[in-house]
Formats: sequence, C-alpha cells, structure tokens
Amino acid sequence: MIRLRVNGEPLALDLDPMTPLVDLLRRDLGLTGAKAVCREGFCGACTVHVDGEPRLACLTPAGLVDGREVVTIEGLGRNAPPSVAPVDDAALPTALQRAMLEEDAVQCGMCFPGMVMALAPVLEAEPSMDREAIRRAMTGNLCRCTGYERILDAAVLALRPQQEAAE
Amino acid sequence: MPPANSSAESRRLLTPATIPAALEAQAAGARLLAGGTWLMRSALRDEPLTGAFASLHAIPALSRLDLTPEAAEIGAAVTHARLAEALAGIPELAPLAVAAGASANPGVRRAATLGGNLCATEFPAADLACALLALEADVDLERLSGPGRVYMAQFLARREALLPGALVAGVRIPRRAGRLGAHVRLPLRKAGDYPVAIVSLTAEVADGRLSRPVIAVGSVEPVARRWAELEAALDGVSLDPAAGASAAAGLLSSFSPREGIEAPGWYRAEVLPALVRRALAALEASA
Ligand SMILES: Cc1cc2nc3c(=O)[nH]c(=O)nc-3n(C[C@H](O)[C@H](O)[C@H](O)COP(=O)(O)OP(=O)(O)OC[C@H]3O[C@@H](n4cnc5c(N)ncnc54)[C@H](O)[C@@H]3O)c2cc1C
Repeated sequence: MIRLRVNGEPLALDLDPMTPLVDLLRRDLGLTGAKAVCREGFCGACTVHVDGEPRLACLTPAGLVDGREVVTIEGLGRNAPPSVAPVDDAALPTALQRAMLEEDAVQCGMCFPGMVMALAPVLEAEPSMDREAIRRAMTGNLCRCTGYERILDAAVLALRPQQEAAE
Repeated sequence: MPPANSSAESRRLLTPATIPAALEAQAAGARLLAGGTWLMRSALRDEPLTGAFASLHAIPALSRLDLTPEAAEIGAAVTHARLAEALAGIPELAPLAVAAGASANPGVRRAATLGGNLCATEFPAADLACALLALEADVDLERLSGPGRVYMAQFLARREALLPGALVAGVRIPRRAGRLGAHVRLPLRKAGDYPVAIVSLTAEVADGRLSRPVIAVGSVEPVARRWAELEAALDGVSLDPAAGASAAAGLLSSFSPREGIEAPGWYRAEVLPALVRRALAALEASA
C-alpha cells in the first residue's frame, strides 16, 4: 500500500510500486496536467512537486513517494500561504501563472504545466533571479513550439514586483 | 500509453534501513534502486524491469557528505544537486562540483545519485565517474563478507566483476592543498544533453608550470579512463592551453572512440584537444 498526499488529499493506493508516478497521477487519479511526453527525463513535461521540490514524475517510482506530499499543476498554489501565492484569482493562484497569461506565453500547452512546476519553487526560493538564471533553471524543460522567450518574459514579469520592492 | 513495464505484476519495493539489510535483500535477488533515473528508463532499452527492488534512500550512512581537511567522504545516495551545492567554491574539488552541477538537467540532478552514476555500467557519458578519476578517488564497497576499498580507476575497469553481490557505499576523495582542477564537457546543445566527450583534469600549478597532472577522458570510449600519454607530456611544462591542445592533438591515436547516435566516434576524439585547451584555461583562471 502506498500512502501519500496529492494536492492536499490523503490517499492510500494498492499498486505496483515501480509504476512511474506520472502514470499513477494520470491513469489512477485522472490528474492529466502532468504530461508523459518523452518518458526519459529529457523534456520535463511531467514535472510535479514532491515535498515541495520539482521532480520528474516519469522517472519517479510510485513506491518512492510513499509518505510524501505530491503537488501537481492542478493543485499548485492552492494550499500555499497567501504571502507566497496570493489567491486573488481562484483559477490562477500563482503570480507565475498570471504572468504566463498576461504574456500570452502558452502555445500548444504540452510543455506548459511542467514549465510552471519546474519554475514556481525556484522563483519563489530565489526571487532575485535574472533572466539568465531563469534560463538555466529551464534547462530540463523542452518547448516544442520553441516559445522559450515568451515563457522567460513571463517568469521575469512574475518576479518584477518582488524585485522592485527589494530595490 | 504507459510503457509495458508499468503493467508488470508482483514487483516489490523494499526499503532497508541499513547496509547489511540492503545486502541481504540483494542476495535474495533484489536490484538496488537509488535515484531511479537509469532504472526507470529500462523499458526504453528493451530491458524488462521485473522482480524486487531495494531502495537505498532510507540508509543514513549512504547520504553522508563529510568534508575534512584531509578528504571528502561522500555517500553513494548523495544526489548530483546536493553535491554541486555542497562542493561549490572548493578549488581542489572543482571537477566534481562542476560535473554534478552541469550534468543532465535540474530535475535529473535532484534525483540521480553518485552511486547510480558509478554503477550504471552501460552508461558511457557519466560525468561524476570521469571527475572522480581525475580526483584520484577511492570507492568504498560493501559486501556481506565485509567492506573493501578500490581505486577509482580499478573500479571503473573492473566494475562488471566487482558489482554483483556488492553495494557502493561511497567515495573518498583525498584533498591535496594546492591542487586545482577543471571539468569540461561538450553537449550537443548548450546544456541538457549527454556530453559527446568529457575532459576532467587536476594538477598542481607552481610558477606557471603544471606538475603531476591527472587527466581523465569520459564519453569517448565505453568507460572513462585516464589519458596517461597526455599526463606524461604535460608534466613539468608551462601551463599553456594552446600548447596543451597541440600536445593532445598528437596523442589521439590511443583512443578507440565509440560510435553513437548523437556523434560518430571520430568526432568524439577530434574534439578532445579543444576540451583540453578549455580545461587548461579553466585551470589557469583558477590559479
Ligand atoms: C535525461 C537524462 C540526462 C542525463 N544526463 C547525464 C549527464 O549529462 N551526465 C551524467 O553523468 N549523467 C546523466 N544522467 C544520469 C545518468 O544517466 C544516470 O541515470 C544516473 O547517474 C543514475 O543514477 P541513479 O541514482 O538514478 O541510479 P539508478 O537508476 O537508481 O541505478 C542505476 C544502476 O546503478 C545501480 N546502483 C545504484 N546505486 C548503487 C549503489 N550504491 N551500489 C551498487 N549499485 C547501485 C542500480 O542497481 C542500477 O543498476 C542523465 C539522466 C537522464 C535521465
């Protein structure tokens, strides 16, 4: 039995412990935000948070998340304190997601949940990041529409209020 | 569609809390599981992932990272990300810090471990293995019959024979004051790819001269190895990146480079002089 919390909800699942976490999420829980695109750790489209850290769900055996807290794009920000993620728009709980919308950064949408999940905690931990540092943090997230610059614009925009406040 | 391996029946995951318990599980047929970044891709290599697995993450001794003035002792379950952070700014350990911080991508680095990098025997582009060769590390092995220590070069050359029935507990890297190092890799994209070739180098630098250089080459042949001819050629000569690259260009014939989908063998060897130049330039900059 694998016991874990997914987006705040406690679960106990009886399944093969070597099932990739991305299959547990998509197939067993119907959470299809994380995409199983390359299944070899190169594209980042399956990125979710395990105990707050971005992890590649395609390479994570379900058994290794026993006792841990998993957050998917569907749950991002919803349980975070308002100081971190002001919940002024229930549909777009984080500044990063709002900035993605504002910059019209989403193209086909395949890479996008993974991009957000990879960037959100990194930007939160290091709000002083510049464009180059954000680019490095995106190394493991491929966008096949090649929309990188707009995604970067959005990440820079998301950090602007904090960077201006710090000036 | 999930790959075939996720429908395999009766796979079990054990979480031993001690090294002896992991070795017992292994003796009973379980495969050791560290970060899973190699094992979880088995289906893509047409290798079925069946049976029992023993995760190493709950064994505290394998997560140690002790830095003393004499040595760095690093447990096998330490991740690339943790290594890069812990070793940043330590000049004599630079090859390992750079290898850990530049390999793969951030998501892989948060999961992949030092032990997994050394024990994924079919993986020729292992950055940590190459850096540890240049750092003249020792590998600590544990078996049910007791512990043992082997030189990194010996471990890499003989690991297919050493690993059955054994667990890599960690590595010990001697810290030699005054020694500098560099790790240079050539991925096809700027980052996020496997390196086509790797050069890891350590040496003492005094009065602008190199002494006792140790030079390791990874990803060119199936297993990383030292470049003894170049070490001999550069010992005692002045630290001159361009001259070092010329010396390297004259010593390529000892390599039997591997073919691969991302690069042909000849290319892997041809880029080595440029990587040697970059490694020496990095050494010069840190001197
Ligand atoms: C997209 C991607 C890109 C990558 N790029 C690079 C790169 O550029 N450079 C690089 O160096 N690496 C790279 N890697 C990582 C590398 O390919 C391996 O996946 C990784 O090093 C394996 O570590 P792991 O902890 O995940 O091992 P696992 O997958 O858990 O195990 C690998 C093997 O080692 C054995 N094993 C693990 N730990 C031990 C131990 N302590 N004792 C004995 N046996 C053990 C296992 O039984 C298994 O056979 C990349 C990986 C991915 C997915």
